[in-house]
Amino acid sequence: MITYPADNEMKQLAADELSLEGRPEAFAGALMNSSADLVADARQGDHEAFRLIFERYSRPVISFIYDMVSDRALAEELTQETFVRAYRNLSTMREETKLSTWLFGIARNVARESIRARVRDHAHVDLEDKSVLDLSGSDIAPVDQFLNKELNGVIERALAALDENKRLVFTLKVFQQRTYEEIAEITGYSIPKLKTDLHRARSEMRRRIGPYLAATSRSQT
Amino acid sequence: MKCEACLNLLEQHVDGELARRDAEAISAHLITCARCSGAFDQLAAEQEVYARYDRELEISPSLWGGIEARIARENRAVVSSSRFNLRELFAGLFVGSRVGFGFAGATAVLIAAIVIGVAYIRARKQSIAPKEIVTSGNVVDSKGGVHQDVKKPQNPKNAEEPKRQNKQEPNKSPNDRKEKPNDSTPRPLIPREGIAKAADQTDVFYTATAYSGEDIETQKHIERVQMLLRSIRNAEISSDDDAVDVSYEKALSRRLLSENIVLRRDAEMNGKFPVKTLLSDLEPFLIDIANLQDRSTPDELRAIKDRVRKTEIVATLQGY
Repeated sequence: MITYPADNEMKQLAADELSLEGRPEAFAGALMNSSADLVADARQGDHEAFRLIFERYSRPVISFIYDMVSDRALAEELTQETFVRAYRNLSTMREETKLSTWLFGIARNVARESIRARVRDHAHVDLEDKSVLDLSGSDIAPVDQFLNKELNGVIERALAALDENKRLVFTLKVFQQRTYEEIAEITGYSIPKLKTDLHRARSEMRRRIGPYLAATSRSQT
Repeated sequence: MKCEACLNLLEQHVDGELARRDAEAISAHLITCARCSGAFDQLAAEQEVYARYDRELEISPSLWGGIEARIARENRAVVSSSRFNLRELFAGLFVGSRVGFGFAGATAVLIAAIVIGVAYIRARKQSIAPKEIVTSGNVVDSKGGVHQDVKKPQNPKNAEEPKRQNKQEPNKSPNDRKEKPNDSTPRPLIPREGIAKAADQTDVFYTATAYSGEDIETQKHIERVQMLLRSIRNAEISSDDDAVDVSYEKALSRRLLSENIVLRRDAEMNGKFPVKTLLSDLEPFLIDIANLQDRSTPDELRAIKDRVRKTEIVATLQGY
């Protein structure tokens, strides 16, 4: 072992801010571009590493935020805020946390704050909104004429009609393919709760897009 | 498996969240049960529709540009935050007094008087009594210079000699008695290692006044780097060790490196080129320490230690 002059304050500070156990290869080479390496480099102030993190995760993050807020311009703005917060708090990211999970956690907070602010200003989409629910009947086009744009619109409106918690777990599971453990970490929910929310969200979505699904299956057969 | 159990687990099965044994049981049940198989097909069809969901989002180049600009702004703000706090403190002082310019003027006069008074006392102290501080064979003169004490008695017999010399030369001034420091050595601002405790009040005052306001951040940073490099320089490395645990030093070095980069850029932007150069000199050491393995070999550590010693970087930092 090695002996050093006592400096308890500095040791405590470093121990609090950084825990790098188990990743001795983090600085092994500049060419290694795993998320852990990028985080380690970005923590050192390497802007290029942080830009690579942005390139890698900007698309899933903006998609997730868009699903939460249903507004293109706002989603861009909130994605920017998410990455600025991530940069600011890189040093606080726990070693065992996956970068994507951590980023989704920040994005979720940013989106939630924005939704709260918007709810204060505008009435949010009513669950019983006619425009959302009235998707059945003769208005449905056959699937061969059914443009992707229309399908996107239907899903988007159905998603917006879910309440926030259900929308959150549904988006993370169905669109972002996160595991239950990751969703629990991102949202802070217990796994039984998120399973329940996910099941209810699926049921509601099914109810809203069901007619289109039926049309799809009729068309395929 | 019963249908009820199968339907309860079907969503988890589609999500790929089931244990292997349960997943196999469900797969086997789906082959034999039309009802459950229908439910599974419906879930699979939904998944397919969701997979086709296209938000038509584009990542515009301006998105990264905006992030970069905000990060740069925040970095600048962090470095100069202490400066702003000081300004706010003074602004608050004047606002809080509610007596406007009269109070501001009186405060300014008071501050000026204190500064002049302290400077006068300090100048007087220097002219009256230059001191010698002897610590472990070194002498610190009143100006903070350090040199070898050649008059230190080697044994009890010789201990009386300096006294006799003093008696023989009663008219010699205190300035003549002490060793002259090497004039080419820059005068250090911070007392040297091991001598700080012995330094007199004059040195402390000088150090405190030299670093006011905006440089305090840099000064604190340099002190922290100095502590780190000193700990490396003074490390006792045994050749018997297979590996040395430097995880703390490594983590600290990473943090200091980030800080160093920000401060260096700030110094460069503000035209403080000596500070910028000093901070640039520190970076290779910090990078090397940050790049060490958590359990480093004695040779790797010794290489850094030797370089710290040879380049005398710790002494340079003390002179800042």
